[in-house]
Amino acid sequence: MTSPSELQANEPTEPVEARRLGLGFWLPMGWILLIVGVALLAPVLPLKDPTDHFIRPGERPPYPPSADHWFGTDQDARDMFSRIISGARVSLAVGFMSVAMSFIVGGALGMVAGLVRGWFDRFASFLFLVLLSFPGLVLVILIIVLIDRSVLTISVTLAIAGIAPVGRLARAATLSFAEREFVIAARTLGARNSRILFRELLPNVIIPMGALVLLGVAAAIVAEGGLAFLGLSLEKGETWGKLIRNGAGSRVLRDSPWVAFGPITVMFLTLASLNYIGDYLRDFFNVRETGLGR
Amino acid sequence: MRFWGFRVGMLIAILIAVSMLTFGAMNLLGDPLFNILGPIAGDTENPENIVKIQAAKEQFYLDHSLPERYGRWLGDFVTGDFGVRFSATGQPPVSEVIKERLPRTLALSGMAMTFTLAIGIPWGVWSGSRSDTIRDRMSTGVAFFFVSIPNFALAVVLYYVVGIRLNWLPLRFDAGDPFWQRIHQLVLPAISLALPGSAVYQRLLRTDMITTLQEDFILMARAKGLPRRHILFRHALRPSLFSVVTLFGINGGALLGGALIVEVIFGIPGVGSLLVESIFRDDFPVVLAIVMILTASFVVMNFLVDILYSVIDPRVRR
Repeated sequence: MTSPSELQANEPTEPVEARRLGLGFWLPMGWILLIVGVALLAPVLPLKDPTDHFIRPGERPPYPPSADHWFGTDQDARDMFSRIISGARVSLAVGFMSVAMSFIVGGALGMVAGLVRGWFDRFASFLFLVLLSFPGLVLVILIIVLIDRSVLTISVTLAIAGIAPVGRLARAATLSFAEREFVIAARTLGARNSRILFRELLPNVIIPMGALVLLGVAAAIVAEGGLAFLGLSLEKGETWGKLIRNGAGSRVLRDSPWVAFGPITVMFLTLASLNYIGDYLRDFFNVRETGLGR
Repeated sequence: MRFWGFRVGMLIAILIAVSMLTFGAMNLLGDPLFNILGPIAGDTENPENIVKIQAAKEQFYLDHSLPERYGRWLGDFVTGDFGVRFSATGQPPVSEVIKERLPRTLALSGMAMTFTLAIGIPWGVWSGSRSDTIRDRMSTGVAFFFVSIPNFALAVVLYYVVGIRLNWLPLRFDAGDPFWQRIHQLVLPAISLALPGSAVYQRLLRTDMITTLQEDFILMARAKGLPRRHILFRHALRPSLFSVVTLFGINGGALLGGALIVEVIFGIPGVGSLLVESIFRDDFPVVLAIVMILTASFVVMNFLVDILYSVIDPRVRR
């Protein structure tokens, strides 16, 4: 016999002091700020040129990590440390740009659909359904192949793939607020739809959406990495995905694993931080929501 | 009955919409004639080339209007004929190429999906029934690790640790026949896909299990003295599966996309590598066929999920 207490599930809610942002928040936040800061300041920091070849006479590259090259060098004796930072610039730019675009378009479509209902709602819902039914990666591949492989095209394409999930969430959140008393009150007072949308609904909808921004950036960075493996990332320049791919050949991986593991580690820490902060903020705001009921 | 009629109509409508979109985009943005013949496609002076261009136009129906070509393609597609490749000869037909590559991708995806569910569901039930113990905290940490590592990075790490350092599993997919005897070579790629996936299931199921275990009927089952395993898997699992089933539908499509990338890393000659090759050669009929297969499997997967919903919760059927 098992004791009943073993089956007893504890309350899934956070303790009250979780309302304050603790170390669990600031540690990953510190990493994100560091990596974004370094990426932004890369041109003025005293870094080695990521395209320069640091060949040592008599030795065959790739060279292992040393005081000179913290993350070692790749097959062409290029410094991995500065290449990872150079890759961070592009990977983060793609992540943040694509999320910004998909939130503006998807958020607007979803919120308007949730507010005005009727034919526009049916149209938007069908659009989301079609977008969701189209395998995202295939969509991305088609557009990139047919147009070009620039930062802008890749960001826009990833943004299109993100419209439907963002739009559905925005629509659902708007629906849940659209029938609430404060919206009805505003409507009774004669507020037009545009005013209700921006003044009443947006401040409420933006809270559940905020956490999704960080998760979306992480998803976009992963998507870009996947494209790099298909040889479909940027034509020129470094991204984390391209750096990992460069070190993933069986020969390079066996003899000099640091070429792949450097970018993998930095990418993983960044993704983990983004996911962790995203989850943390979502729980943080959920506590506020459920706290009102108790 | 009307519900299912609507769902089937939706399924077909999406397939047609996606095919039109892809067909239109590839023919309007690309230049099929150039892809077939290469640089001589633009030659209007050399009579020999003009004859070739004329012949190619007739062979690939490029002298017909776009809607007419779409209609012809659709008619063939429905009967299982995916048309001819965009190459000087058009051989081998797209259907043949797909028939050779598709089983490998399906085997990899199927294996990955089986692993995902076989790991994710017991894991979620286990940690949901022990929420807030030390072991649950640790398993949540492990799950977080796998959620945050992209499958291609995990594939590279596993490739290095299991394949190169430990030398346990074969690294390269040997395409030599017969295929079904080579299936063990798919284990490592399938695990790379399954571990991140199962962590997502674990997180979702854990949350739902915690909620379910607080219900009165669980208290009732406990009061009856039912064994713990019986309560967890017979009583609590079924009402907790709702969001897992939804995720199953979404993940099914993402899994195929992931399989495509992991295939390339492990050198498996499946649909993924075929897609990459065809894109580099601008072989649009092959790309179109793959897009249709991926979309169809994705839509059908969502349809199956709807059926599953009504199995789990009969109230949905109304």
